[in-house]
This record gives sequence, structure tokens and C-alpha cells, in this order.
Amino acid sequence: MGANLKEVRDRIKSVISTQQITKAMKMVSAAKFRKAQQAITQIRPYADRLNRMMKNIAANTDGGSTLVYNQERDVKKVMLVVVTSSRGLCGAFNTNVVKAAVASIEGKYSQVYKDGNLSILCIGKKGFDGLKRRYPKAHFNTESVDLFMNLAFENVASVSGKIMGLFAGKEYDEVAVAYSRFKNAAMQFAEVEQFLPIPKQDETTQKKVKADYIFEPDQDTLLETLIPNILQLQFHKYLLDTHASEHGARMTSMDKATENAEELLKALKINYNKARQESITKELLEIVAGAAALEG
Amino acid sequence: MLKLIVLTPESEYFQGNVKSVKVPGVSGQFEILANHAALLSALSKGKVRIIKEDGQKETFEIESGFIEVLRNEVALLVRGISN
Repeated sequence: MGANLKEVRDRIKSVISTQQITKAMKMVSAAKFRKAQQAITQIRPYADRLNRMMKNIAANTDGGSTLVYNQERDVKKVMLVVVTSSRGLCGAFNTNVVKAAVASIEGKYSQVYKDGNLSILCIGKKGFDGLKRRYPKAHFNTESVDLFMNLAFENVASVSGKIMGLFAGKEYDEVAVAYSRFKNAAMQFAEVEQFLPIPKQDETTQKKVKADYIFEPDQDTLLETLIPNILQLQFHKYLLDTHASEHGARMTSMDKATENAEELLKALKINYNKARQESITKELLEIVAGAAALEG
Repeated sequence: MLKLIVLTPESEYFQGNVKSVKVPGVSGQFEILANHAALLSALSKGKVRIIKEDGQKETFEIESGFIEVLRNEVALLVRGISN
């Protein structure tokens, strides 16, 4: 019985230390999550204004502009950007993004993959780990795998700028992004979105804002400079969303882990106390029996 | 009096009432005063100068950006701000 007691005690100790780790990780994630969320809210005013500007310009042109980023070509070469985290322990977060990427590779881009024309740009290590063995024919690009280390806008913009350059130079006919759209700490949606060419928008949703604007330079040139900015912003948003999702997912999964440890601990403590009581009773019995034997 | 807001992708740099804003437009520097006509322009790299309500001047450098003027409200969306 003594050995069993010690065993249970050791297990309790190890569960407690695990619980401390998960608790600490939860706290860290909570702090990072708040920061990530803040980054999203901070970019919003800028993004809103920029979009409004574009609508204003679009409303005042004939809309017949043919921009390079709108160009729809036959889809022969595709770049898929997979945005995941670099670290694990965040529940099904990375798996979900990888799954979404897999679904689009096997669905929409299966022919492209078979022809060996699919490139996968990995941002975050987990996406690379999850996909590289599965798709030997795809070209993996891991240049920007550590992009999450520095999420400054200019830093991200240089990556998205490169992607846009490749699209404009006809290296790729379509660019899609697999990422995790952030809703709240408990809800993230892994999605694949078409980044380039710019998906066509519903004409009806565009409210016409007619004001007599002076455009400098002319509307078309303005649009040409505005749109890359908006695209970079869009790309930045993918990253921020995924970043917030990651920490949200880790926070909830670590919270669950702490809770589970608590439950385990409860069960173990009951076991421990049972064993302890048993051994005390046994000892008492022995003592009583010994005394009785002496008296007898 | 103009209402000015200066935004970067990462933060709000300035918000408040100003007398004038001088910006480096792509086709030349220009200054916005009160009651300016509606305007949308791209900006190139250069200096922005604000004269605040109390006459105080403030200047900073930008890498690129856009300006929108509508009914005495000026929005400056810029990238790469430095003092």
C-alpha cells in the first residue's frame, strides 16, 4: 500500500506542475491576444478611410479602367499563401487552416497541382510542416516563414508587395490565401480567400457618393496608386486576423487544459486520501491486534 | 478652421483642429486652408506641415500617402511617418 501512496503522490505533483505551465501559457496568450486584438482595431480607421476613398473615386469614374490587379487570366500558375502559427499547443487552430488549404488544393487547384504549377508560400512553420510531405509536387517557399516575428506594417507590406509584383509580372495567374478569420477568442474560421486578381464586387452594394472632387492626378492614376495600398492592407489584415486567432485559440485551449488538470487532480486526491485512510486503518488494526495478542 | 486627422496603418498620429495643412502632392506641394474644395490626391515622399489652431507649427516626413478634403474635414492617410 505504501508504494501505491507514493505513486499517487508523484502523479499529483506532476499534474500540478503541468497545470502551472498551462496556466502560465494561458496568461501569456491572454496578454498577447489583447495586443493582437488591439492591432486589428487600430488598423480599422485607416482601412475604412482608404476604402471610402476608393469608393469615392470609383463612383466618379466610368469604371472602365483595366488595372493589372483586376486582370483575369487563364489559371495556370497559382500561388497559395498559407498563414499559420509557428508554435503549437493551440488546439485545432493550425490543423483547421491546413485542412482548408488541403481542401482547395484537392478541389479548385487539383489540376494546377497535377501540372506542377502550384507554389505554396508558408507564413508560420506549422503550415509548412503540415503540407510539405503531402504535396511533393508543389513548390514550397519558406522565405517569409518567420514573418510573425515582426508584424510591422512596412515589413508585411514588403512581402505582399513582392507577391503583387509576381502577379503583375504574370508569374502567377491567381493568388489565394489560407488563413484564420478572427471573430472572437472562441471562434475562428479557417478560410481560403482569393487575393489576386481582385474578386469582383457587387455593383449594387457600391453607394454612389457624388461630390465634386478635384482629383490629383487623374482618377485612373489615383486608383492605380490606391489599389496596391488597399491590397497591402488586405494582406496585412490576413496576418493580423490569424495572429489574433492563434492567441485566442491558444488561450481557450490552455484554459481547457487547466480545467482538465483540475479535474484530474480532484480524482487523484480522492484516490490518494482513500489509500492513505486504508493504510492508517490497516496500521491501527495491526496495533490493536498486536495489543490483543499481548494481553491474551 | 479645418478638422484634421492623420492616420497610419498602425495608429492615429494626429487629430484636432488646424488652420492649414501643407502636403507634398505627387504633382507639387500644396496647402489646404479652410473652405477648400473637395479634393482627393496622392502624396509623394516629403514634408507635411500643420499649423495648429493656436498658431503652433508641426512638421513631419512621410513616405507616401493620400489626402482627402471634404467639407472642411481633412483626412491624411500616410505611411512611414518620421519626425
